[in-house]
Amino acid sequence: MKDGIKNVKIHVIVLILVVVSEFIGIHSFKIGPGTLVLLPMLYALIIGSLMGPKFLKAVKQKDMVDAGSLVGVTLMLLMARYGTLVGPNLPAIIKSGPALILQEFGNLATLMLGIPLAVFLGLKREAIGAAHSVAREPNVALIGDIYGLDGPEGQGVMGVYICGTVFGTIFYGLMATTAAAYLPISPKALAMASGVGSASMMTASVGSLSAMFPDIAGELQALGAASNMLSGLDGLYMSLWMALPMSEWLYRATYKVKYGTAPERFVRKGDE
Amino acid sequence: MKISETIAVLLIVAVMSLVGNLVGFHNGIIESLPGMIFLLALCVAGVIMRNVVPGNIPNVAWIVLIGCIVTYPGFPGSAQLSAWVGKVSFLSLTTPILAYAGLSIGKDLDMLKKTGWRIVVVAIFVFVGTYIGSALIAQGVLSATGQL
Repeated sequence: MKDGIKNVKIHVIVLILVVVSEFIGIHSFKIGPGTLVLLPMLYALIIGSLMGPKFLKAVKQKDMVDAGSLVGVTLMLLMARYGTLVGPNLPAIIKSGPALILQEFGNLATLMLGIPLAVFLGLKREAIGAAHSVAREPNVALIGDIYGLDGPEGQGVMGVYICGTVFGTIFYGLMATTAAAYLPISPKALAMASGVGSASMMTASVGSLSAMFPDIAGELQALGAASNMLSGLDGLYMSLWMALPMSEWLYRATYKVKYGTAPERFVRKGDE
Repeated sequence: MKISETIAVLLIVAVMSLVGNLVGFHNGIIESLPGMIFLLALCVAGVIMRNVVPGNIPNVAWIVLIGCIVTYPGFPGSAQLSAWVGKVSFLSLTTPILAYAGLSIGKDLDMLKKTGWRIVVVAIFVFVGTYIGSALIAQGVLSATGQL
């Protein structure tokens, strides 16, 4: 991180990105009954990702690593702001408590659809790593612990993790407003669903929703932040005790359907 | 991680956020300063709590908790703190984070190419499944408890 702080070049580039992105500002487009909201953070992410050696050649490999080392700390100010959003809205959040807690089980919908799809696409044990959760940091750590990150399960979870890092934020922003426009789901419920354990995905989703529903923006942001905290608390245990056993079972079941035989028994890390 | 290094990064990001808050939301730097200093204080308090309290509770958990307590209606001075922090648009805090994240993404693009299209299809399914699954449950519970 020390290298990152001293790397003046990346700070200057980030400052330029911030000014340019904020100058472009928030733009919403009416599409049918809904609204597509583009936020400055999306421009910053996209322009930033084009700075690499492949495109604009403004940053080198080391600059990219330095910038990455700072992301964790840069999130703190935003989290502090979220705390100050939750505080004044705490009475409303407690009232929504049951919905907030029960929606966490929606994460299991992922594997019910994801495992059969992955097996159908021809993935083997990669399917379990890829589809058991949204693959944020705690899930990657868990798969690494149980199966090892160099095996097929590890490749699966790393693949989805990287997809999440590269286009997850943009995807969540667009999905939130599309769902709000076309599905009969209230913005409050969508804000609660935004907390999947990734601060940037939650922010993209809640940010787009609050641009679309400015009257209840504060409450939406508070619900998203509360839901994200909850996912951070229970996500790991939910994966360990529910999602992984269910994934293993569903994998065996769908494997038999596709290939006509049972899959080979898997070997846990350290059992050999 | 040293506290001094953390504070250095926080100060850099605070300056960028103040500039973004001015350009994008027309909140003057001077009028946003008390709110930003309050947010910085929350971060430092969170980092200190992590180091002092046993149990290895993450920084962000402390930061959110303390921020939540001091702005809870009825806490002494909560109205003033909320008014100050209201000048700092939460969206202006997100832009520098994603600019740093964007710069670092370049190194992940090659790895993404290697993992292949199947994983990308599964990832899209995973994102949609989690989101819509959770939203439907939340919607059901909210309407069952008459909160819509």
